[in-house]
Amino acid sequence: MSRTEETRYWRSLRDLADHPEVAQLKSNEFLAGVTDESDVADLSPVSRRTFLALLSASAAFAAASCTNYRDKGEVVPYNKQPEEITIGKANYYASTCTGCSANCGILIKTREGRPVKVDGNPDHPVNAGKLCVRGQASVLDLYDPQRLRTPQFKGSGGGFAEGSWEEADRTIMSQLAKTAAEGKEIALVTHTVTSPTFRKVLDAFMARYPSSRTYSYELFSDRFRSNAWIRSYGSNGAPVIRWEAARTLLLLEADVLATEGDVLEQIRSITKNRDMNDPRHFSRIWVAEAGLSLTGMNADHRIRLKPGAQFEFVMGLIHEVAQRRKLSAISPETSVVEAIGQYPLAQVVARHRLPAHLVEGLVNGLVSHRGESIVFAGSTLPEEVHTAVILLNEVLGNTGLYDQRVSRVQYSSEATMEDWVLLVQKMREGKIGAIVHVDANPAYHLPQELRYAEAAQRVPAIVTLTQRENESSVISTIVLPINHAFESWGDFKTRTGQFSLQQPVIEPLYATRQKEAILLHWASGSTTQPDASSYHRYLKKRWEEEVYPSIKSPVAFSRFWHAALHDGLLLHSEKPIARGQFIINADWLQPLWRETDQFTVLVRPSQNVGDGRYAENGWLQEIPHPVSKVVWDNYAAVAPQTAKSLGVENNDIIDIRAGERRLQIPVFVQPGTAEDAVVIEHGYGRRTAGPVGTDVGFDVGSLMPVEIRSTPYIFSAAVTKGSGSYELVSTQEHHALDDAFVKDLHLKRKIIREGSVAQYLNTPDFIQKGRHEPESITKILEYDGVKWAMAIDLNKCIGCTACVASCVAENNIPVVGKEQVELGREMQWIRIDRYYSGTPEDPVVSNQPMLCQHCDHAPCENVCPVAATNHSPDGLNQMAYNRCVGTRYCSNNCPYKVRRFNFLDFRNDFADGIYAEEPMSALYNPEVTVRSRGVMEKCTFCIQRIMEARQVAAEEGREIRGSDVVTACQQACPADAIVFGDMNDPQSKVSHYRAHNLGYHVLEEINVRPNVTYMAKLRNRQTENPA
Amino acid sequence: MNKTILDYSLKIRVPITVFVAALTFTLTYFLSRPERDGIGYAPPQPIPFSHKLHAGEMAIDCQYCHTGVTESRHALIPATSVCMNCHTVARKNKEAIVRLTEYHGEGKPLEWKRIHRVPDFAYFNHSVHVNKGIECAGCHGEVKDMDVIRQVSSFTMGSCLNCHREVHQRFPDLKGVNTGPEHCFACHR
Repeated sequence: MSRTEETRYWRSLRDLADHPEVAQLKSNEFLAGVTDESDVADLSPVSRRTFLALLSASAAFAAASCTNYRDKGEVVPYNKQPEEITIGKANYYASTCTGCSANCGILIKTREGRPVKVDGNPDHPVNAGKLCVRGQASVLDLYDPQRLRTPQFKGSGGGFAEGSWEEADRTIMSQLAKTAAEGKEIALVTHTVTSPTFRKVLDAFMARYPSSRTYSYELFSDRFRSNAWIRSYGSNGAPVIRWEAARTLLLLEADVLATEGDVLEQIRSITKNRDMNDPRHFSRIWVAEAGLSLTGMNADHRIRLKPGAQFEFVMGLIHEVAQRRKLSAISPETSVVEAIGQYPLAQVVARHRLPAHLVEGLVNGLVSHRGESIVFAGSTLPEEVHTAVILLNEVLGNTGLYDQRVSRVQYSSEATMEDWVLLVQKMREGKIGAIVHVDANPAYHLPQELRYAEAAQRVPAIVTLTQRENESSVISTIVLPINHAFESWGDFKTRTGQFSLQQPVIEPLYATRQKEAILLHWASGSTTQPDASSYHRYLKKRWEEEVYPSIKSPVAFSRFWHAALHDGLLLHSEKPIARGQFIINADWLQPLWRETDQFTVLVRPSQNVGDGRYAENGWLQEIPHPVSKVVWDNYAAVAPQTAKSLGVENNDIIDIRAGERRLQIPVFVQPGTAEDAVVIEHGYGRRTAGPVGTDVGFDVGSLMPVEIRSTPYIFSAAVTKGSGSYELVSTQEHHALDDAFVKDLHLKRKIIREGSVAQYLNTPDFIQKGRHEPESITKILEYDGVKWAMAIDLNKCIGCTACVASCVAENNIPVVGKEQVELGREMQWIRIDRYYSGTPEDPVVSNQPMLCQHCDHAPCENVCPVAATNHSPDGLNQMAYNRCVGTRYCSNNCPYKVRRFNFLDFRNDFADGIYAEEPMSALYNPEVTVRSRGVMEKCTFCIQRIMEARQVAAEEGREIRGSDVVTACQQACPADAIVFGDMNDPQSKVSHYRAHNLGYHVLEEINVRPNVTYMAKLRNRQTENPA
Repeated sequence: MNKTILDYSLKIRVPITVFVAALTFTLTYFLSRPERDGIGYAPPQPIPFSHKLHAGEMAIDCQYCHTGVTESRHALIPATSVCMNCHTVARKNKEAIVRLTEYHGEGKPLEWKRIHRVPDFAYFNHSVHVNKGIECAGCHGEVKDMDVIRQVSSFTMGSCLNCHREVHQRFPDLKGVNTGPEHCFACHR
């Protein structure tokens, strides 16, 4: 059965219901109101006559005063030529990303000493040359005009005044010494420590100030999984999983493709088994979750499950599997057998109204692929679920998928909620003498119920080390500005046998220091100011004395050190921490938490803003949410049927109450959400973040509990319809492919074509059968030489939007802001179209990256009155900005809706021109024109990279090859879904893809001859392939 | 038919006026063109560096100073330290060299007046041209005869395209080179 012939795709619920407004939207290229901003009252008061008078007068003055119109300015060479810089050529430096605790290896591209782009380090074993959206966008934070530039001291009036480092160090060190002498506690608040040298600095600090204590935390950590693992195996931390070996995957509330764990490694290894050239080894992905996640979108089968039912579900699976496979493999005690016996799968299925045939298929899959399957629970789920999952994997014999060669390393133990409660209590009682926030923001991250900021008023000294103002800095007495990651030294170790090094690629832009150097100076007790390289020396010394001897390297230390810095990492053989004997106890298999109210709230991390630390990053706020396509906001996702029972629609405010805690937040009706579940992403609603991030979205902190039975992220709540509404903006219904007036024909448009693995094995060319071969009445132009083309494998594409972030950074794409997106003026050159099919309860999702197709017969070219867009001899649809007069005819005539118009000079328009301020101009890629108002733009297939490859070819005296060019989106894609090259080269990968049985073009029947080929998605659904 | 004022105007005055206006415009347009394109522009430089002396009489290779020309899109103005390779010894008592030494010693930026410039939206690439065998003099003229550096060719889009189209006529000795690209993306992106 071909899905494409019978499936109806819908982009939103309103679309599914044939809402007339949607039909209207789809038939118009520009949203209503996109052009009406001309109110007579807003017009300039200068009349035409006055204007002409001024114009002629100024022209006359200009002519009269123009003494040297030939002047072309100055060229200023270096005074002393830096050895490694050639102006006009990029340098790359290996370093480490510190955006989250995964610590991926990165390559930073610098031009004339300025970092302009970040990509993954290909040698790094975890991310293997790829980088997520947050990592890609971290370069924007370096140049953020909001960064603090000098130490700040709180005055008596509550405002902050600038001061010097000497003064700050003197004040703080005397306060710390006094606190230590009094025996009062000094609280050091940090995020999870992944750097061994930073650990040493913290230890040195604590040795000098013995009354100090560290509180390390992550808003979302994997402590429940870790705890369960330590309990079951007695060894340290959760394992590294060999995802590529899994044939059947069951992911429970685990967004492993977006927010959970080492995402890039997981994307790479999981999509490795979705290879269209090896259909017999397709994995089958099962997801059981409450809210539709990125991982859920990509599942072959998805079961809607409330978080509260996860434990019973896993126990039911254990029960069923154990019945078929006997528990003798692990010989548990009778009490365990009894605990499992309480959950017959049939009862669990009936109680939660689960689709029985799917669950049956899941059990079959797990049992038949035992030893080659993996069950994995998300970090928001409580410990008992993780314990049950470990047991289920044991019963299935899946322990071979735990990587024996490597284990995780930890340098800090995580502060529990009890620790925080105690800390706040001591703060209230005046027992805390000083708090140091080391690049952490507990005033935002801790539940509001804890009243951390209020208790902080009783602490005499609070020091915050931060890059920019935040919720914790405003309650501090002294705020110290710290270096951006690209200005810092460091080393990181998250796994055995792998060190990742961080080196600065630019001098600190302001009078900042790196956080390690500040603590090191206080720990030294020295009265002289440290120089800029104090931590560099400390790091190098530790490596020379501790790391180098342990490696037993044959080369001298200085060579060893420079080699490690050059590579950005050091791989060596190190014995992993062995997994202990598996033990299980019936007491661990008791659910600690049960639903107490009709609704369950699930709090999840956001892919884009993380735990809120990226809220001030305009790129990340504007990249649409991978599932809902909402920008600049978070929301409460509820199921359509739940929304109906609450009597709410999109944008209506709901009132969520859990005891005293309360949150009012707009609703987004998300197909695929479990009934009575409310799914909210954390990281939004920052109260103090800067002009970009402040008050964007809603702070879930007001709802997070302090009293935790098992997990803070899942709790029962009462939900009622609130008053008022709030406009959520999504790019969902913008740039709709025009198919409304032929509603009944749109199944035949075949924008998405897909099928099943079984179908493909039976009929490999099933996609080709429905393809048109349009007759051309004009001569088809032949291209000799290189002709550029792209292919996108929809089997691999998961819709993570890393390509969008990479494109934004590479091509100087501006941030436009929520109001402009609402008007349909977003500027990103590549978008991920997301289509739903099936029912609103259980939607099937298809992703499709959509960018300029560089059509051979491009409709945009014919209508340009000034020939600003036309075709190049290597098959590119070119766009000459300096020729464009802004008629927008091209955009109107584009069938793919991929052209973007600069309605405003967005850099000046957005947030009072914050992104027009210095040093933002240093961020731009100097190889790409910065476009201004009134100009059309679109994807260029990274022409600057093509031209650079041509330059290299000319230098080497050869012709350019297709494989010389890697586009920005291709480079970023963690799944390697994007292929680019020369379609006239029969050996190239892209020409293989174009000729592949699964290859098709979007809207090929209109004979525009697009040069982007899509590879049809194959789904490995069990009903169609019962193998 | 009577000769009227109108007749006179239409037959004599208007054509003459139009002719004179057109002639003036055409002459001004063509005569001022080199001036408008910047040909002959030779402003005084902060250090009176003579290409005639260095490149001509002493025959120092262009690439000794303009190092980027084979590997980058910029030819590069040499760093002050490059001058000092020789001038720590050579002619170090001359007034201009004393000033040069000051610039170098004090780390002051040396602001040369810019002679050759294409607009920001055009991405000219030196290395592609030089690596294909185009002589520096092809665009910059006989620099080795210039005491004061000046612009000799026009750097407008028309001039670029003319050369791209007539590459074989202009550089008859150049072998194995195609005509230059004429599409937008060749220079604009």
